[in-house]
Amino acid sequence: MEDAEHLYGVLGLEPGASREQVERAYRFSLELYGEDTLATYSLLDPTELEDMRSRIREAYQLLSDPERRQAYDQGHGFAPPEIPVVPFPETPEAGAEDVELPEVLTGPDLKRIREARGVSLRHMANVTKIGTRFLEYIEDDRFGFLPAPVYLRGFLHEYARMVSLDPRRVAEAYMKRLPSRS
Amino acid sequence: MALTVSETLSVGRAAKRRQIWSVGGGKGGIGKSLIAASLGWQLARMGQRVVLVDADLGGANLHTCLGLPSPARTLADFIQRRLDTIEEALTETGAPGLRLLSGAGDLLTAANIKHMQKVRVLNKIRGLDVDVVLIDIGAGTSFNSLDFFLLSDVAVLAVVPEPSSIENGYRFIKSALYRRLRAAAPHAGVRNLVDTALDPKNDLGLRTPVDLVARVEQEDVEAAAALRREMGSFHPRFVINEVRDDRDVAIGHQLVAACGRHLGLRASYAGYVHFEDAVWRAVRRRRLFMADAPTSRAAEEIRQLTRGLLKGETLGPGY
Repeated sequence: MEDAEHLYGVLGLEPGASREQVERAYRFSLELYGEDTLATYSLLDPTELEDMRSRIREAYQLLSDPERRQAYDQGHGFAPPEIPVVPFPETPEAGAEDVELPEVLTGPDLKRIREARGVSLRHMANVTKIGTRFLEYIEDDRFGFLPAPVYLRGFLHEYARMVSLDPRRVAEAYMKRLPSRS
Repeated sequence: MALTVSETLSVGRAAKRRQIWSVGGGKGGIGKSLIAASLGWQLARMGQRVVLVDADLGGANLHTCLGLPSPARTLADFIQRRLDTIEEALTETGAPGLRLLSGAGDLLTAANIKHMQKVRVLNKIRGLDVDVVLIDIGAGTSFNSLDFFLLSDVAVLAVVPEPSSIENGYRFIKSALYRRLRAAAPHAGVRNLVDTALDPKNDLGLRTPVDLVARVEQEDVEAAAALRREMGSFHPRFVINEVRDDRDVAIGHQLVAACGRHLGLRASYAGYVHFEDAVWRAVRRRRLFMADAPTSRAAEEIRQLTRGLLKGETLGPGY
């Protein structure tokens, strides 16, 4: 409780948390103090819950902004996160159209986005009916194990839909890096 | 359902000394006895020698969970010296390694038994020559239930994803913690503060154990440190019973976070058990679903839960 004052504590994190951790902790905290939550309504009154929610939103807004976070960390003597904070993906509430997709997407990029969105591989496999194995090949850039481009494109479309990205552009940005088969 | 060799070996060696486990919940009708019975059954299956202690006041029904008739011998027979040793009061359950001790709840409430005698009997229970003494403690927050919970090596708090159950779970944890803090209070001043904090509408505005310790610190730094140590050593483990979807599963993580952030307690999430037809079908037949429906999801979840509790593993922070 003693570190509840710094913004990381508000999200239940330690300084140095990765961008993914910030994303997940933010979603978790919003649920924890949500209006229909079972876990906190008997511990805090409605005003306190609302107060927690706005503190959480403020903490998230600052910590998810690379520049503001850097300034904040320096101001408090916190070490920078080990993995650099990238301004990507957008906040969970933001629609897919707001996400600035780079020209080229790697498997690890996709994985990072998926994790930030809080979508598990198993869940994705359940919904898309694409085997977990293939989803992992995609994220690990194991091109040799991936199916023919025509199928891969379909997989990437499904993948993109699961993480609220533009399917066509994701497939394009990912497949740019495929070794040519000619 | 055979165990793998490594499973049997690792678990068999894990518990060298006798452990006290307890399952509490602070509310009746949430499947607490069923969880206690299946944990005991699974522990025995994994090679532990287990005694299940039915300490539910009034509503003792562990034997029914195990498909047994009302036991012919209970703790009362030992107390009233109809039996020479406490071992003779144990009932075989039909599952190798798993025995049952009935009537412990009666002992705790019986007015005609002297306090010293209770202590002696409780020490006998704790001293049973087994690997795990697993106590099904009753509903409610009587001192006796709380004491069982507090003295456990593994204190499991069962809740179902419903408001009243979770409220009662918190009440149970708070009551147990305050009782522990009260016992650790070095002098009457601190004891009085603990008593004040017990009243949810107290004048000092002490709403949580964290508030209490902060208040104590203003007066007595050393006493506050002692209370913090007590809080740090109290480690309830949540089990969510009758979950129906992922949101229910997530509640366990939320409870742990809420305990940490608002009660100052290091709780953990030990596991969950899905609501399943196979379970209540077995209950209706007065059979334990672990034996009756070993391939059910709930049975697999109990197996995971038992392994996790033995190894001290938890389900992580949830984010």
